[in-house]
Amino acid sequence: MSLSTAIVIKKSFWAYGTMLGKFLSAGCLGILLGLFITFVEIEQGKGFVAIEAGPWTGWPRSEASVIDPFSRAILVYSGKIALSESEAMSFVAHSDSDGAEFDSACDYVVKGEIPPARYWTLTLLSPAGALIANPAERQGFTSSELLRTSDGQFEIALSRHARPGNWLPLDRASKFILVLRFYDSELSAPATALDAAHMPVIVKGRCE
Amino acid sequence: MNRIDRLLAALLWLLGILAVAGITLIVAIFVLPEVAAKDTYARILALAKPGQAALLPPARPDTQFMPFADPAMVQSVCPFDLADGGLRLHADVEADRLLSLSFRTSGGQVFYSMTDLAAQQGKIDVVVLTPAQLEVVEADDDEDDPSQDLRLIAPETMGYVIISSLAAYPGERAEAEERVKSVACTVEQVAQE
Repeated sequence: MSLSTAIVIKKSFWAYGTMLGKFLSAGCLGILLGLFITFVEIEQGKGFVAIEAGPWTGWPRSEASVIDPFSRAILVYSGKIALSESEAMSFVAHSDSDGAEFDSACDYVVKGEIPPARYWTLTLLSPAGALIANPAERQGFTSSELLRTSDGQFEIALSRHARPGNWLPLDRASKFILVLRFYDSELSAPATALDAAHMPVIVKGRCE
Repeated sequence: MNRIDRLLAALLWLLGILAVAGITLIVAIFVLPEVAAKDTYARILALAKPGQAALLPPARPDTQFMPFADPAMVQSVCPFDLADGGLRLHADVEADRLLSLSFRTSGGQVFYSMTDLAAQQGKIDVVVLTPAQLEVVEADDDEDDPSQDLRLIAPETMGYVIISSLAAYPGERAEAEERVKSVACTVEQVAQE
């Protein structure tokens, strides 16, 4: 078979060859690409309705029908749907107030202002939303049980070592996130006016 | 075929691939929540039958019913199927103890929610109905003695109610459980036309 015949055969394959095969491969490629984009978007994305205030990212309660399918898919995928659909307005922090990702080898202090609410809770969870076991069996604080100074201020210490006052134990091996929930608060769905200055700050302390 | 023809053909295929990718993206975004919600609803039905309330297992490091649960919350779930009749919820509210109810479709979307602050004279009485059942109930209303029930129309016949209470202190957990358990969830027979 000469080179020219080979070229002719190849050409005729492309010209008259199975269009079906081409359609199928284009379709498969398209579906793969679509799923890949969906995965990346949902993994990285926050949706259009997320509210940011300092280190905190919040989602309005999804009974607000303003929630778009895209944000809904993100919330469902991340498991945060349970968060946004409870009666609480919830905020999640993955990093401290300087933007550095949480590291369980470091100490942190949560303090400062807090928006008014009937109750609020601060919970330490794994990034997947599970509780992290610790010998003190302490996973969070409610606004009622917090120890406060005489002027009503509070400080919550996050550390692997026991601390006086409000201590949330960290586990060396586990990554963690903080979830702040407000029950029966004035913060409602389009809480776009939320100011970072009125949310608690998260200050990194000593690292080992 | 010259070079431009080939380029155009390649471009056309590329556009085709992108179009398929776009459609896949949109379908996936819409289908994902449906699939996840079906899973949640199935787990809820495994806990309780329609018209019965069941306490959700408390979140622990090794077991969790739903991710991102608040360990300070005590919750129960009451599924409903309005084909069997309406759903009646009755709660006696204690002053200054958080009790919240959220009414959801089987797909997980909240169609109504309330807290104890909405109670009338220390009581919450809610009836969840289909539009047809509401007509029957309203036809039976006594004009001189109006019903104090809050009547909700469910967008779907199947769904569930989540009843939650907060244990403000770790020692209050048992008390919060009692509060959640005291919310009565029953099937309300509605006369069929």
